[in-house]
Amino acid sequence: MWIEERSTEAAAIEPVIAADDAPPAVRPPVAGVVAGAAWLAAAAVTVKWPDLEETPHTSTLAALQVAIGLTALALSVGAPWLRAAGRRLRVAAPWLLALALWVTGWQLATAKLGLLPRPFFAPPQALIEVYVEDWRRLLECTAHSLALLGAGFLIGGLAGFGAGVAIGWSRAAAYWGHPLLRLVGPVPATAWLPLAFFVFPSSRSASVFLIALAAGIPVAVLTWSGVAGVKNAYYDIARTLGASPRFLVLRVAIPAALPHVFVGLFMGLCASFSVLVVAEMLGVKAGLGWYLSWAQGWAAYVNMFAALLFMALVFCGLIALLFAARDRLLGWQSGLVRW
Amino acid sequence: MVAAATAPLPRGATGAGESVEIRGVSHAFRLRGEPLPVLDRVDFRVEPGELVALVGPSGCGKSTLLRLLAGLDAPAHGSVWSGGRLVSGPDPSRVLVFQDPTLYPWRTVRDNVALGPHARGELKGARARVDDALRLVGLESFSSAYPHQLSGGMAQRAALARALVNDPRVLLLDEPLGMLDALTRVAMQDEILALWRRAGFTALLVTHDVEEALLMASRVLVFSSRPARVEAVVPVELAYPRDRADPRFTRLRRDVLDLCMRASRARSPA
Repeated sequence: MWIEERSTEAAAIEPVIAADDAPPAVRPPVAGVVAGAAWLAAAAVTVKWPDLEETPHTSTLAALQVAIGLTALALSVGAPWLRAAGRRLRVAAPWLLALALWVTGWQLATAKLGLLPRPFFAPPQALIEVYVEDWRRLLECTAHSLALLGAGFLIGGLAGFGAGVAIGWSRAAAYWGHPLLRLVGPVPATAWLPLAFFVFPSSRSASVFLIALAAGIPVAVLTWSGVAGVKNAYYDIARTLGASPRFLVLRVAIPAALPHVFVGLFMGLCASFSVLVVAEMLGVKAGLGWYLSWAQGWAAYVNMFAALLFMALVFCGLIALLFAARDRLLGWQSGLVRW
Repeated sequence: MVAAATAPLPRGATGAGESVEIRGVSHAFRLRGEPLPVLDRVDFRVEPGELVALVGPSGCGKSTLLRLLAGLDAPAHGSVWSGGRLVSGPDPSRVLVFQDPTLYPWRTVRDNVALGPHARGELKGARARVDDALRLVGLESFSSAYPHQLSGGMAQRAALARALVNDPRVLLLDEPLGMLDALTRVAMQDEILALWRRAGFTALLVTHDVEEALLMASRVLVFSSRPARVEAVVPVELAYPRDRADPRFTRLRRDVLDLCMRASRARSPA
C-alpha cells in the first residue's frame, strides 16, 4: 500500500538543507584538478604536435582548451567557497576529463596523424573555423528553423491537446475522432510531404502543416489516454460536492491527465524535429536542415559536422525548456524523470 | 491524536442531520451482458442525526447502496429519499467518504479540502471554513503539503475534512478506515464519533469490522450476501464512549457475528 511508506511525516516534508549549511569540505576536489590538468595537457598536444596540414584555427583551439582547463582548476581550488558551482564541477569532472581525452583522440586521428580520410572527417579546429567564419548564416538558419518549428509545434500541440481532451471526454467526439486518429496516426508525417507541397500555397505553410501534424498526433493520443484513464472516483468525489461538467473537465480531467500530456508533448517535439529537418532539406530554402543539405551539396563536410553539432545543442535546449515547464507545472508528482 | 471534541466546528454548521430512507430498492449490474442482482428489495429508514452501521459479507452491495444514496447512480427499482425529498442526483448535502482517500495528487491538502466550495464557485467566502475543517482534523500545519507526502491516516483525515467543509446533513462513510493500521484506526474511530456527536449529521457507515460497527453505531444493519437484503437490525443501546470489555458489548459482538455468519450462508451459491 503506497501511502504507508510515507508515514515518516516530518521527514517527508522537511527540505534537505543540510548540504548547504555544512562547513566547506576539507577534502580537495581531486577530480576537478585532474580534469583541468587534462585540458591543459590537451592544449599542449594541440600546440606542440605539428599539424599535417596548416590549419588556421589550431591556436584558437589551444586557447579554448587552456581556458577550459584554467576554469576547471580555478573552480576546483575555489570549490569550498563556491558552493553550488563547486558542487556542480565535482559532478561534471569525470565528463570534463572524458571530453579532454575525446578531443585529443579526435585531433590525433585527424589533424595530427591523418588516420581518418581527410575530406570526410575534419579536425576540431576546422569546426571552430566554420563557427568563426559562418556563424551569421548558422544563426540565420537557426532562427528560420525555430520560427517554423515554433509555429508548427504550437498549432499541432494546441490542436492535439484539444482533440485529445475532446476524444477522452465526449462520447460523440470519440465516435468520430477515434477512427480518424487510428487511420491517420500511424502514417508518418513525412509521407504527406509530396501532397502537402502540392496542396499548400507555399512550402512554408506546407511545412507548418506537416510539423503540426507530427507534433499533434502524439499529443492527441496521450492526452486522450490521460483523460480516459482518470480514476472514476475523482469524478465521483467532485460530483457529490456539486461540480459542474465544466469543472470536471478543467479542474479534474485536465490536471489529472497532465503528466500524460507532457509525455505526448515530448514525443511530439521529437517527431517535429524530424519533420522540420526533412521539410527544410526538401522544400524550404532556409533553416538548419537546408544548411545540412547545402553543405553536403558543396562537399563542405566540415560545415555539415558543425551544423549537426549546433543542431544537437539547439534541439537538446528545446527539450530542456519543455522539461523545465513540466517541472514547474507538475511539481506535485514524485519521481519525475530529469532531462 | 486530535482534539476533535474541543475544536470548533466549521463555521455555519447547522448541526441538523436529515432522515434517510430506502424504499423497496432493488438494483442490478450488467456483467458481460448478464444481469447481476446486487440489491434485493432493501427497505430501511435512518432517523435524523442517527449513526447506522451497515455490515455484511464483502461485495454484497453495501457500497452500491451508498452510491445510490449519494445520487451517483439511480436504483433500478424503488426509491431513495433524503430529508423527505426524492434523491435524483448528487448533492453536497450528502457527501461520500471512500475507503481510498482519493485526494487529488496535484492539489495541496488545503486545496483538496476546499474542493467542494471551489466546485460550487464559493471559494472566496469559504476561506475560514476551510481553515476550521483543517484544524478540526489536526492538519492545519500540513495545509500546503501534497498528498504523496502524507501518511495513510493523515490522507484519510484530509478526506474527512474535505467532506465536513461542506457541512453535510448526511455523511456516507464507505469503509473509511479499512486501509489504516490498527492504532490509527482506533484513534480515527474516536475522532469520527466525536465529530458526529458534535455536528449532529446523519451518518451511514459501511464496514466489515463488527467491533467498529458496535463501537460507533446506534443501530447495526446486517446484510445478506449478494443480492443483499437487510437480514437483521441490531439496536446498540450502550452509552458512549463504549467499552470493548463490557460484557454486554462482547455479547452483542457475538450475536452480530453469528447473524453475519448466517446471513452470508443464507444466499451462498452452493
